[in-house]
Amino acid sequence: MVLVTAARDYINRMLQDISGMKVLILDSQTVSAVSVVYSQSELLQKEVFLVELVDSIYKSKESMSHLKAVYFLRPSSENIQHLRRQLANPRFGEYHLFFSNMLKDTQIHILADSDEQEVVQQVQEFYADFVAVEPYHFTLNIPSNHLYMLPAVVDPSSLQHFCDRVVDGIAAVFLALKRRPVIRYQRTSDIAKRIAQETAKLMYQQESGLFDFRRTEISPLLLILDRRDDPVTPLLNQWTYQAMVHELIGIQDNKVDLRSIGDFPKDQQEVVLSSEQDTFFKANMYENFGDIGMNIKRMVDEFQQVAKSNQSIQTIEDMARFVENYPEYKKMHGNVSKHVTLVTEMSKMVEERKLMLVSETEQELACNGGQGAAFEAVTNLLNNENVSDIDRLRLVMLYALRYEKDSPVQLMQLFNKLASRSAKYKPGLVQFLLKQAGVDKRTGDLYGNRDFMNIARNMARGLKGVENVYTQHQPLLFQTMESIIKGRLRDVDYPFLGNHFQQGRPQDVIIFIVGGTTYEESRSVALENANNSGIRFILGGSVILNSKRYAMNHYKLFLILGV
Amino acid sequence: MHFAVKFFIWGNETDANVSCCSRGAVTVGLPPAWVDVSEEIATNVQRARTKMAELARAHAKALMPSFGDGKEDQHAIESLTQEITNILKRSEKRLQQLSAAGPSEDSNVRKNVQRSLATDLQNLSMELRKKQSTYLKRLRQQKEGQDGVDLEMNLNGGRSRMEDDDLDDMVFNEHQMAKLKKSEAFTVEREREIQQVVESVNELAQIMKDLSVLVIDQGTIVDRIDYNIQNVATTVDEGLKQLQK
Repeated sequence: MVLVTAARDYINRMLQDISGMKVLILDSQTVSAVSVVYSQSELLQKEVFLVELVDSIYKSKESMSHLKAVYFLRPSSENIQHLRRQLANPRFGEYHLFFSNMLKDTQIHILADSDEQEVVQQVQEFYADFVAVEPYHFTLNIPSNHLYMLPAVVDPSSLQHFCDRVVDGIAAVFLALKRRPVIRYQRTSDIAKRIAQETAKLMYQQESGLFDFRRTEISPLLLILDRRDDPVTPLLNQWTYQAMVHELIGIQDNKVDLRSIGDFPKDQQEVVLSSEQDTFFKANMYENFGDIGMNIKRMVDEFQQVAKSNQSIQTIEDMARFVENYPEYKKMHGNVSKHVTLVTEMSKMVEERKLMLVSETEQELACNGGQGAAFEAVTNLLNNENVSDIDRLRLVMLYALRYEKDSPVQLMQLFNKLASRSAKYKPGLVQFLLKQAGVDKRTGDLYGNRDFMNIARNMARGLKGVENVYTQHQPLLFQTMESIIKGRLRDVDYPFLGNHFQQGRPQDVIIFIVGGTTYEESRSVALENANNSGIRFILGGSVILNSKRYAMNHYKLFLILGV
Repeated sequence: MHFAVKFFIWGNETDANVSCCSRGAVTVGLPPAWVDVSEEIATNVQRARTKMAELARAHAKALMPSFGDGKEDQHAIESLTQEITNILKRSEKRLQQLSAAGPSEDSNVRKNVQRSLATDLQNLSMELRKKQSTYLKRLRQQKEGQDGVDLEMNLNGGRSRMEDDDLDDMVFNEHQMAKLKKSEAFTVEREREIQQVVESVNELAQIMKDLSVLVIDQGTIVDRIDYNIQNVATTVDEGLKQLQK
């Protein structure tokens, strides 16, 4: 609950002491941060009767002086400019300004100068500068995520901008948790090291007073990783509910937009998938597709019983019971529709794109051996008319990541076949991926074939006969967490920053993946947390990836670098 | 709970101990006329809540053993129930008046105020229904227990089994006569209660049906703040476009 609770508490504090009708003004980033933890009906209870974006205030000229304005914004220079203009011509009765991160002194001076009519009642910092999609998973929704792969020399200011945003987000998380961490980073990643250093500088030097919480317990650990150390997980098709919805349709801030995949009635065009508010989703978000189908059928049956009894209203008692239960019934109906629609649409996509066939090969490429068989399987799928372009790209990418050093001739054959089949992907894209995330660039033992222990584990798995061939894959993150739990995360691979050190195991570990996380990974984290190992993990990233976004990140960078 | 926040006051640096919240000469402006309607409804909601508490007490009193025939208690319950239902009905009608024409910021505020009050009214309707239901259930348990007579609570039919028996051929002793008189009176009383419940449930059903269009379904897309912002943006844009025509 931790991050969600912290964010909610900030919002409650903003609203609590301001009486009367209010308007809440957000920016495009804070609207996400607020929308995942607070609802419209909760705002209404607090007498917030209007919500607007800071850059669209100008559109209306109505006088709203009977409303008190509550601003919650990131302290960016654009927002300060917006505020300057709005304070110069105030439309609302009172102005209460809240910022999601630390304000610079210059920004405060600008605001003070603009407040000629003295409408500002208070200015405070409430550090909800992150999007807490799940209790143990947050994202920063960074728009130009592909920049993490940009070499510093190419565009230093854009890269600095990216790093600043990440450092601000991580800082806000720790301010919200009221802790200051010990920091470790992935040695082979320049950007991970840079972010680690800049975070440390902020927390231990520039704003050391703010971060000095005087806690006596053991410090939490902040571990900064690079997406490129595990390029396989984002490429894989998914078969557990939440991850699958994101992979096939797309989830943004816990909302699913179905308009991209078909025509639906107005109330089903966009739906919410939140474990906090939907008990069916909470119980099924990490379950396999097959099990989901059964559970949904059971839910539909239950609902039909209720619906039937509602239709046969014969006695006044029946009617009375219907009246009493109507809101619950309505909610149940909406929820059943939502899940049935999602599963139906995804089943269709699985069938059209032959995803079970494709996924079987993907899992083989990710988990098991046999270069020859892999080459044959990928070739066959490339030749299969039903397989879509994105799936072909993924298969070749996965093959290349696995077998980049084996049989270069066959690898080239696959590149050529891909180029000839899928005209829209520029040749060289896959090779580009290898340059970014090839074996020479990676730290972790991605395929478990470096470390003796891993080899043994893989063999044992293979022999046991995996329950479900489609969910064999474990993200590398799982192994990293295991190492941390056993106190065996190697210094040589993940060094401590500067003079940071930690004796013994931490109790709280925040893992930040520069370049983005996946729902398969957040699932691993949730399951690990449920094991009560004594360590609580929180996962965060610059974005939440699926295979399309991941491939698109590479593509954007590929175009910039003109390779 | 202490949060790591920084607090700023500006104005002259010398005013170090200016208090934070009552600064500035600007007063909050006068609200538009429709706010009177919303305030009236809010007041009614409060009245209904007070009456609801009274009703709960009346229910409790009626369930306690008494020497009288309980007619007074009955009367109190009936009139309170009727009063609350009327308040809800009137408020719901008034609520419709808050619907605003034309897309604008003000109409969005009105819509949200309307939704908020609709939720309050719906909660009250449901609470009334639950209280009635509980009371009748307890009453039934009590009466059945007391008399040892199984009076079927068929609210539709409302016919007592006693009437079906061929009473004329039976001869009663004193004890049976007393019991019979009591259950006759009880039946009449029962029927009136049932009648009132029928009317009340009908009215409540109608109120809830009208309200359900306005109330936000929690956990759905319309309960999302970002969804509501999008709608504001598009309606204001449309409003501007229309003005420009």
